[in-house]
Amino acid sequence: MNQKLDLLQGTLDLLILRTLLGGTAHGHAIAKYIQRTSKDLLQVETGSLYPALHRLEAKGWIEASWELSDKGKRARYYKLTREGRRQLSSERSKWDAFARAMGLILTASESP
Amino acid sequence: MNENLRKLRWLFVRRRREEELEEELAFHLEEEAEQRGYDAARRDLGNLGLIKEDTRQMWGWTWVEQLMQDWRYSLRTMLKNPVFTAMAVLSLALGIGANTAIFSFMDALMLRWLPVGDPERLVTLNWHASITRMRGSVLYSGSGSMWKDGDGTTSGAFPYPSFDVLRKTDVFSKVFGYFWMRSANFYARGQAEATTGELVTGGYFQGLELVPAAGRFLVDNDDLPGAPPVVVLGFNLAERRFGDAANAVGESVLIDNRPYTVAGVAPRGFSGLEPAQSPDFYIPLHVGQDARSFDSEHYYWLLISARLRDGMTMADAQARVAPVFHRWVESTAVNDQERAHLPELVLTGGGRGLDTLRREYSKPMVVVLAMVGLILAIACANIANLLLARATARRREMAVRLSIGAGRWRVIRQLLTESVMLAAIGGAAGILVAIWGARSLTLLLSSGAGPSTLKPDLNWHVLAGAIALSLVTGLLFGLTPALQATRVEVMPALKEVPANDRSRRVTLSHVLVVGQIALSLLLVLGAGLFVRTLSKLESVQLGFHRENVLLFKLDAAQAGHKAPEIFSFYRNLQTRFGLIPGVQSASVAQTPLVGEGSWFTPVVPAGKQPVPDQVTRLLTVGPDYLKTMKIPLIAGREIDDRDFARSAAVAVVNEKYVKVNFDGRMSLGQRIVINRQPRAPDIEFEIVGVTRDFRYGGLKEDLPAIAFVPFNQIPFGRIGEMTYSLRTAGNPLTAVTAIRQVVRQADARVPVTHIKTQATMVEQTMAQEILFARLCSGFAVLALVIACVGLYGTMSYTVARRAREIGIRMALGSPRGRVVWLVMRQVAMMGAVGLAIGLPVAWATSRLVKSFLYGIEADDPSSIATAIVTMAIAVLVAGYGPARRASRIDPVIALRSE
Repeated sequence: MNQKLDLLQGTLDLLILRTLLGGTAHGHAIAKYIQRTSKDLLQVETGSLYPALHRLEAKGWIEASWELSDKGKRARYYKLTREGRRQLSSERSKWDAFARAMGLILTASESP
Repeated sequence: MNENLRKLRWLFVRRRREEELEEELAFHLEEEAEQRGYDAARRDLGNLGLIKEDTRQMWGWTWVEQLMQDWRYSLRTMLKNPVFTAMAVLSLALGIGANTAIFSFMDALMLRWLPVGDPERLVTLNWHASITRMRGSVLYSGSGSMWKDGDGTTSGAFPYPSFDVLRKTDVFSKVFGYFWMRSANFYARGQAEATTGELVTGGYFQGLELVPAAGRFLVDNDDLPGAPPVVVLGFNLAERRFGDAANAVGESVLIDNRPYTVAGVAPRGFSGLEPAQSPDFYIPLHVGQDARSFDSEHYYWLLISARLRDGMTMADAQARVAPVFHRWVESTAVNDQERAHLPELVLTGGGRGLDTLRREYSKPMVVVLAMVGLILAIACANIANLLLARATARRREMAVRLSIGAGRWRVIRQLLTESVMLAAIGGAAGILVAIWGARSLTLLLSSGAGPSTLKPDLNWHVLAGAIALSLVTGLLFGLTPALQATRVEVMPALKEVPANDRSRRVTLSHVLVVGQIALSLLLVLGAGLFVRTLSKLESVQLGFHRENVLLFKLDAAQAGHKAPEIFSFYRNLQTRFGLIPGVQSASVAQTPLVGEGSWFTPVVPAGKQPVPDQVTRLLTVGPDYLKTMKIPLIAGREIDDRDFARSAAVAVVNEKYVKVNFDGRMSLGQRIVINRQPRAPDIEFEIVGVTRDFRYGGLKEDLPAIAFVPFNQIPFGRIGEMTYSLRTAGNPLTAVTAIRQVVRQADARVPVTHIKTQATMVEQTMAQEILFARLCSGFAVLALVIACVGLYGTMSYTVARRAREIGIRMALGSPRGRVVWLVMRQVAMMGAVGLAIGLPVAWATSRLVKSFLYGIEADDPSSIATAIVTMAIAVLVAGYGPARRASRIDPVIALRSE
């Protein structure tokens, strides 16, 4: 539980996009979702979350709108755009390839 | 939507986005607080300002926004210190502007290529001989400029036969010669005009590879004795007189009363090979020049240029053509003395025109350049100082900014922006100063004897260079303190307690102030020397009255008048000028007394041999010359109407002449001889009057020995242009209309030229001294002010830093006077060190301007003393302000401020 992982450079974008695949969410919910789903292994710093959200918005991968939260308060909800979906699948295949490559190397038995 | 477009849109709704971000983060905090309590949530969130800043960066082009922020902030900071900013900008503007103006001028003078085909391949032919005077050399007589350099004489004037020899060598593809005509009467379509012309060989235009604007150029066949006289007009003259270049072709014109047909027109922008001259027309050499000039091997007059053959370098050409000239010139020598000092041929680059002007102006230019260079150096030092002081004073501000999360680079960039902005504003103002400076410099020079045809364009390279220099200064001195300031230890700086007391240490800004004082001393001393030179010159005794005298010139010979008719023509005009209302007296002489040099010739008592180098200045005059110029007569009478009626040759001499030739004994009735051997027979004159000494020629020379004779009694030389002088009751210029009318009635073909008052003429001979005195005084004041501002700023800052220490001293009972002394001691120290460094430098450099001084030595003790006292007073005055402020420090406030 105490073991927290530092996020790899560039992976936060992928995590956000993946989180929003399940529907709209506000910043705090996104952070909590990532923490919960990773079984507390990953914790998103607020200091990097909001800049990342606004960056993705500027790129047009997500869009934001003000909606009422479950408790009836105004919150900024983010939604995946069509371009965001495309981006997610390409990022994802890149990540898969990377993870596979890492796995292959880390589990290799033959010596160089 | 495109990312950039989206960001652009966001820029416009900036404030709303700001509020939204605030709300978004507040919502996050609330959500988190609900789950884990406020404190934990707040702790997790961390530095809220930083998050906002980071997020904001995602919205737009951060660098553009930050740049604009930096600009706004820099502008605010500048406006907060208007005096410093104004001083910095002003000094930069003047430094940059003055340098650009001067360099632009030099560029026009020295570096610009002539507007001819392939100027790089043009060469000018000169000769150098190890002689300092013509006597005893192969050069019996000459026409054109010769200049002494070190061990000998250099000139571009050659005898015509040598041109024929040089033309046959195989190193040049074209060799061509030319010769200035002094001035010429140009008459076309019923109107006369004074112009200048050039005599050129047939190959001149082909050699320059020019294309005519209309008609054709001269060819070799035009340049033959007896060829039908044709002329090529300069573009400006053709346009002025015939409306258009094409209209001029085929027209008949009179030049010095001789008919010519216009063959063609030179291209626009071409005005001969000499940047200072601009010939209005070009006529073939053999048509315009006396036949005698072509045969003499000892009369040096023709200027020669050539175009190198393809593949020939200047060194090769020099090596091959110099022996050819040597063989020829050796064959002209008749004895061993002549053979010992033969002129040797020297090739120089000709593509930038002849270098007469360069010789004349390069030294003054270097002096002026040095002055503006010093100004720029002082200005840069001031900028550096300003930035240093400001950066140090802003340590606390830097600390605040760093502590609330500003990046170090961001702060550095802010400081750099300020430096660059300062330099940019200074540079922009510098452009204005440069434009104005170049214009007024042209005016200053052309009002004197300078070249009126020289029109400097603003040299953008120099401007860019000067601005770059100020930018580098700004960056360098902006960066050093910027780096220092951002390395500041946040805590002590915030508490406003000096981390360590550096007040006693010599800082960079002290060094800069000392440097400024030293440099300023140079300019202040220079100003003193030039101003004193000018005042000495202005107080020179002329020996005649310069006020209320009008001078102007006429040349009746060019309109076809010949001796002896021309004598009565000039005499009659003089009589009629004398009748003009308001004119008290009128006379005429061959040249004006000052401003145009003088005519040297040996004039000795009858029966004596002329002593080499002892020459008399000869002036040929009409009646009443002494009366008109108010030159006092000591004995006898002056030249009057009687001398023009009868043939007895008479002369009037001055005291100096009597002293030199008759040991000062009264010499009325003595006979003197104008010795013109071997060219003309001697002629005897009887001395009928003796005058007091007066100036004829330059103002800086010793008073000369002078003889004057009636203008109709000179049996040699052609009588040509004459200068009239009219003494008037009031403003002499009011007589001009009447003068023109009188001349027009006498002969409409004769133009009235060079109308000036005698006072202006005298002033113009001092043009360079006036220019130097004005420029250098202006620069000195400027330097002084800049240096004082630097000193004031440094001391104010030092006082501010030592406020606490001074407060303690005062709390312990130190009297105000002691506090003033505390600060003034440091001021005096800096001043003393600055002067100690500046003095030997000034002493050494003032020698370089020795040749520009008159009446005082370069190490004139009183000038040096004045400069030192001036500097000392300025330094003390500048330092007293901060010292006084220090003595007003309230110890209670100073100590409480911690």
